Amino acid sequence: METSEYLRVFMDECQEHLQTLNSSLLALENDPENKEILNSIFRSAHTIKGASATMGFNKMADVTHAMEDVLGLLRRGDIEVTPEITNLLFDSVDLLEILARGIPEGREADIEATGVLQRLKKYSTREELTPSSRDRRRVLELRYLKEEQEQLKKQLSGGRKLYHFHVILKEECLLKGARAFMIIREVEAAGTVVKTIPSTNELEDERFRFDFIIGLVSTEPLEKVVQIIKKVSDVQDVQGEEVAPDELPEERRGSGETYRFAVQKEKEPELSAPVSTSPTALTVRVDIRKLDDLMNLVAELVINRGRLEQISSELQHEDLEESVEHLNRLLLELQDDVLKTRMVAVEHVFSRFPRLIRDLAHRAGKQVDLQITGADTELDRTVIDEIGDPLVHIIRNSVDHGIEQPEERKAGGKTATGRLSVNAHQAGNQVVITVVDDGKGIESTKIADTALAKGYVTPEQLEEMSEEEIINLVFLPGFSTSEEVTDVSGRGVGMDVVRERISALGGQVQLSSVPGEGTTVTIQLPLTLAIIQTLMVQIGSEIYAIPTSLVDQTISVDRKDIKKLRRQEVTMLRGEVLPLLRLQDVLGVKDARNLENEELDVVIVRNGERRLGCVVDTLLRPQDVVIKSLGTYLGNIPGIAGATILGDGRVALILDLRAVA
Amino acid sequence: MKEKEEIREELIQLVLFKLGEEEFGVNILQAREIEKLDQGLTRVPKAPSFVEGVINLRGEIIPIVDLRKRFGLTLPPLGYDSRVIIVEVQEALVGMLVDAVVEVIRIPVSAVEPPPPITKGVESQYLSGVAKIGERLIVLLNLERALSPEESKELAEADLGE
Repeated sequence: METSEYLRVFMDECQEHLQTLNSSLLALENDPENKEILNSIFRSAHTIKGASATMGFNKMADVTHAMEDVLGLLRRGDIEVTPEITNLLFDSVDLLEILARGIPEGREADIEATGVLQRLKKYSTREELTPSSRDRRRVLELRYLKEEQEQLKKQLSGGRKLYHFHVILKEECLLKGARAFMIIREVEAAGTVVKTIPSTNELEDERFRFDFIIGLVSTEPLEKVVQIIKKVSDVQDVQGEEVAPDELPEERRGSGETYRFAVQKEKEPELSAPVSTSPTALTVRVDIRKLDDLMNLVAELVINRGRLEQISSELQHEDLEESVEHLNRLLLELQDDVLKTRMVAVEHVFSRFPRLIRDLAHRAGKQVDLQITGADTELDRTVIDEIGDPLVHIIRNSVDHGIEQPEERKAGGKTATGRLSVNAHQAGNQVVITVVDDGKGIESTKIADTALAKGYVTPEQLEEMSEEEIINLVFLPGFSTSEEVTDVSGRGVGMDVVRERISALGGQVQLSSVPGEGTTVTIQLPLTLAIIQTLMVQIGSEIYAIPTSLVDQTISVDRKDIKKLRRQEVTMLRGEVLPLLRLQDVLGVKDARNLENEELDVVIVRNGERRLGCVVDTLLRPQDVVIKSLGTYLGNIPGIAGATILGDGRVALILDLRAVA
Repeated sequence: MKEKEEIREELIQLVLFKLGEEEFGVNILQAREIEKLDQGLTRVPKAPSFVEGVINLRGEIIPIVDLRKRFGLTLPPLGYDSRVIIVEVQEALVGMLVDAVVEVIRIPVSAVEPPPPITKGVESQYLSGVAKIGERLIVLLNLERALSPEESKELAEADLGE
């Protein structure tokens, strides 16, 4: 693996553990006594510490180390989980996130971390100095089950004695697992290792802190074996003890007999090992670019299939046609499967929300109960990456402006705690995400006033609009950028940005609201960005693809039904005026024929509430296409969403008609 | 001694091509491949006028730039010998449409001199130097400048402005 690949793996792991930290901390806040949660937090911090130290990201290692110290105290019960501590841990996780973000830009070392570090260290050092905490040292214990005791007693005769060795490795020891293995091998030269704590498997997998106990049956004197162990490098200290056969500590919960080693040096407890020896993982991490390559190859195959189909139909060879048909089906399945491998559960995005809402509610002094459903709904990776920010924005609006203060809610006959539910589900080839709150809702009259004042609509237009249409005016560019608008409307700064982002993904967003009862934001997204459904059209000698997500319907218009309204061609459609646009005019097609046609093929595209009839020469066919970028050289060309490769290998451009509609 | 020095001299390898009758060169390290433009070109609306369109090169969409238009040279239409040299510029692949590809040669780095303000009708900002090899004068293109996305955007805007 190249360093960059290590880095990617590290970043991925880091993100996962940070996520775990966030969710576990939230859980801990509600259940401060739960040791299992504490252990999970400890494990994640520990993993990040190890990995970041290996990668040379020392700030991260320092922060996680300091967190570990505090967490260690919590685990031992030396200090209690208080809001102050959870907040400190949350701040530490935030800092880790900032540090992680700094890594790709090489800024990790420059980020200010002293504040949090000092706060963390304040706890650990303060506690270390109090005598009570020093007394409550952790002890490692090596005990034996009944059967083991029986076995041992048989062995302990003829000068053979049982020793317990408590081995402490140096903190800077790098390959602890290997070191432990070496030590065991060395002592085995002097006798038989009967048991270790943690188990030998755990030791080899490095699932221990810095110390372990070896139980050894040997004829050699105790001191000699101690010397053997001490010779192994990276050993900090060894304590040996002979154990009499009738004093064997029994492994049984609550047994009065205990056998303890007093640990000289303050040490962290060993990590509690997973209950089961983890089965081989059923998932693998794959670089998204490899999946992109795979996707491209499949697209190539599809193109080649087109050629093959053409040849086979020309040859009229029955067997050939049959096998091409078979190939066809296999390819479709392949394409489907490759697409599925790129799908990621929306949980990846949703898992940020509990923490987000906790912080938002905290800051605003509100109480919010979050319900998430359908987190296992899958979306293409590319969509997942893009949808996070708009969703956060919507949720922020809900908590900041939707849900009221507890007193206000009670006064309005609601529960003091506001409800916010986020749901995702698949509907056909779309995924629908809804964010519902039971807050104060949006008053359409206020939106209408602002829209009028800002000149977005005329009083006549307002007359015609439904409540819902009025509310959705907040999506207009620049509608809700000023603070005072936010406060009156109860909704959103930057909703225009939200719509823009979602539209760019080929999705749609809608608002609905009942004043006093709450607001619902509905987002519809395509399952994938890699393949989109299009309608192929021909204009002159050129072929273009129009994404069907924008197409309302296709109609045929008689030439005599086209009228001119202030130099603009229009036609009437079910009593409404439909403006027409000859696509050759915006695309600069020179050989278009639709001016002569008696019957015109028109594709009606919609952009929000507006409809536009696009006149083409010929409607060809609907087709799923693999969307490709035009590349950085051409960059973003207005009106062109990308390109795709047709069956004959030629390139067709995908139109983005939102720019003209 | 002299011989040894010559051997040790640093060489660069160039792909030579023609725009009209003049010879130009690009470093072979930047050239990916040379193609005949036998497949249909797809015109891109609103692209700069020197972008002839895009082609499909084994699944990748490659813009094709007519270098003659790019440098504002007035020349007869492309003939049978015309080729596309696919080059990599700032991590993007671009196809340069040229009148003909001549050969691949090695020249000593020392033969390259800074370009005069205008050489063969091309402004010096798009050139990285000129090299005299015997009687031939080879003009070396600065692809980063000649095919920079920023530059193409500016020109596209200028096109629209007209």
